[in-house]
Amino acid sequence: MTSNVMPLTMASYGKPVTVVNIRAGFGLQKRLSDMGLLPGTKIRIVNSQRAGPVLIDLKGTRLALGRGAAQKIMVTETQDG
Amino acid sequence: MDKKMTVALAGNPNAGKTTLFNNLTGAHQHVGNWPGVTVEKKEGNLNHKGYSITVVDLPGVYSLTAYSPDEVIAMDFIVEEKPDVVVDIVDASNLERNLYLAVQILEMGVPVIIALNMMDQAESKKHLIDIPTLSHLIGAPVVPMTANRNEGTEELLAEIVKVAKGEVETRELRIEYGREVEEEIAKLEQIISPTSLALKYPPRWLAVKLLEGDKEIIGKLKEVDVE
Amino acid sequence: MNKEDILRATDASIAHLKNIYGDESETLIADARYGFISGLLKDVLKKPPVDRVTVSDKIDKVIVNRWAGIPIFMAIMYGVFQFTFTLSAPLMGLIDRGFGWLGGQVATVSPNWLGSLLADGIVGGLGSVITFVPPIFLLFIALSVLEDCGYMARAAFVMDRVMHKVGLHGRSFIPMIIGFGCNVPGIMACRTIENPKDRLTTIMINPFMSCGARLPIFILLAGAFFTQNQGLVVFSMYLIGIIVAIIMALVFRKWILPGPSGHFVMELPPYRRPTVSGVLTHMWERGRLFLIKAGTVIFGVVILIWLLSSMPWGIEYASAESWIGQIGSFLAPIFGPCGFGQWQAAVSLFFGFLAKEVVVGTMGTIFAVDEGILGGALATQLGWTPLVAYAFMVFCLLYVPCVASLGAIRGETNSWKWPVISLLYTTAIAWIAATLIYQIGSLL
Repeated sequence: MTSNVMPLTMASYGKPVTVVNIRAGFGLQKRLSDMGLLPGTKIRIVNSQRAGPVLIDLKGTRLALGRGAAQKIMVTETQDG
Repeated sequence: MDKKMTVALAGNPNAGKTTLFNNLTGAHQHVGNWPGVTVEKKEGNLNHKGYSITVVDLPGVYSLTAYSPDEVIAMDFIVEEKPDVVVDIVDASNLERNLYLAVQILEMGVPVIIALNMMDQAESKKHLIDIPTLSHLIGAPVVPMTANRNEGTEELLAEIVKVAKGEVETRELRIEYGREVEEEIAKLEQIISPTSLALKYPPRWLAVKLLEGDKEIIGKLKEVDVE
Repeated sequence: MNKEDILRATDASIAHLKNIYGDESETLIADARYGFISGLLKDVLKKPPVDRVTVSDKIDKVIVNRWAGIPIFMAIMYGVFQFTFTLSAPLMGLIDRGFGWLGGQVATVSPNWLGSLLADGIVGGLGSVITFVPPIFLLFIALSVLEDCGYMARAAFVMDRVMHKVGLHGRSFIPMIIGFGCNVPGIMACRTIENPKDRLTTIMINPFMSCGARLPIFILLAGAFFTQNQGLVVFSMYLIGIIVAIIMALVFRKWILPGPSGHFVMELPPYRRPTVSGVLTHMWERGRLFLIKAGTVIFGVVILIWLLSSMPWGIEYASAESWIGQIGSFLAPIFGPCGFGQWQAAVSLFFGFLAKEVVVGTMGTIFAVDEGILGGALATQLGWTPLVAYAFMVFCLLYVPCVASLGAIRGETNSWKWPVISLLYTTAIAWIAATLIYQIGSLL
């Protein structure tokens, strides 16, 4: 069962989420996909700064995303890791 | 007289490229700039078993497209300068992420050796990697190493010499892109094959690059001669 | 077949695929590659179902904590400076005594002019610069440790929010910290910033980061005029540098280079224990430049200044009648409003353009003393007060980037326009800031 789709900035801390789509321009989308972040990827929020950047766990590495970029990444909560 | 050869070092940022470069070349390095841009170009030299080897440190990238100047430099060096061997440094504790670049280099059909770095970290994370199978499936030699402790450098050099002598076969990696995409690739390949471009680059690779909308490759179309 | 045919066929293929899948063919290709990789890994890689919480994660819980992140960053930077100054003080004393002794020995060499060249020129001038090797190298060690252990990337993450407010993002913060060591690598580190306007802004504010070469000036003046609060006064220079940099970033992003800033996307490497050889290599790569500079540029300038101080023939060494005194007297009125309108100060600042250590080196040569008593000479011979000293320090902090930094700006921007702008605007800001400090301070 999946809940609603929301921007990564609204997902709760520590819970695994799955990327649904990335509503960004060509450049950012490409850059994220080169780093392994694309629709279907499971990620986990490790740290989120209030009105600041988001730190995610992406297949074992730590990726820092500015708020602007994080807002464009739509995710849905995954039922289990 | 030693035989000359060129080895290009490719890899993701943070995969340990600089450490391996230092292990290979020691103090024999010099720093310059890549032509036309201000990105640093590091080169070093070493002699090994009758070979005078020039090692070129390519910029650390996640992918080989025309996205950033670093990527253009790395790709251009591989396709234009045709180094004898490309060593791709892969972080063994982050295989999935790092293999994305490796796959792209393998698709270019150049001789590649995978330097599987940070084996110590992979072990401490309890990741077990079946190296012979990996090597078999991608069609390239895989050398495990821990560059931080200077482990695996000799083995890598031995493998570089083997590839240079042609004792190890490396083959172009063919990824199945799915029926519809493959049809388009085939169409483009057919158009490209009779042109002069096909002499310089593998046509299939060009076709994939074109579908990716790669600006660098589109720029190279200018070189096309009518036949 | 020609270029147009190939392009037309490509566009047709891309459109066709988009029609079928609703996705860019680029995405399809990336997906297929990742698909191949995950299939491959099923056969090749066995790993525990979930990666354990790593040590890095535990450290990150604290280091990049929403509330504690910035205070921890400040504490670490303060620790870096404490480390640098506490350890370097005894070493500097030792070197200083060594040069004092050496100066005494060579002063007796005949003929007289040679003794003067050796003692006043080379030992006095170069000695006052060499004395600062320990703090500069220790600072490089501390910065290398921060970089090698993985903290630098965390600092960028923690400061992203702040940098965002001035129209930049976290990545711009790393070149700024590197600039504390030397602005040249700081400016070159801006290459990792993709957005051209972000990059240019970060380059243009880098010279405000107080580099190691400015340290001699601060330590010298703080030691002579602020014996009680030496550390605090030096630390205030770094803070003023950061504040001016941030204000100027805002100005650049708002009026000179407006437009949206790029996205902050950066991988944070896992924490690693820095290796001794790694840190020393790093320190040496950067520190070497300082030594080369001392051996070439500064050595040459010191001899030039000695020569200018001794000419024309027959005048008293380094008097107002000497050539250097004449150059200085010509420039001095410019600095009147800032409080340091003496020819000795003017000429030091003038040659400091070559490298900021030269400011101290020039004074050492002019006053023909080494660093230990140079501060005292400024008070007794020029009548400087703590206020004048502070205004002078602020001026040195902010005014023209050194020749090497301008060269780096020229190289990185690939134009002459930006180094010229940098030269002019930093000097204007320095003059205004020093004048404000001196004039307002005099009223109090």
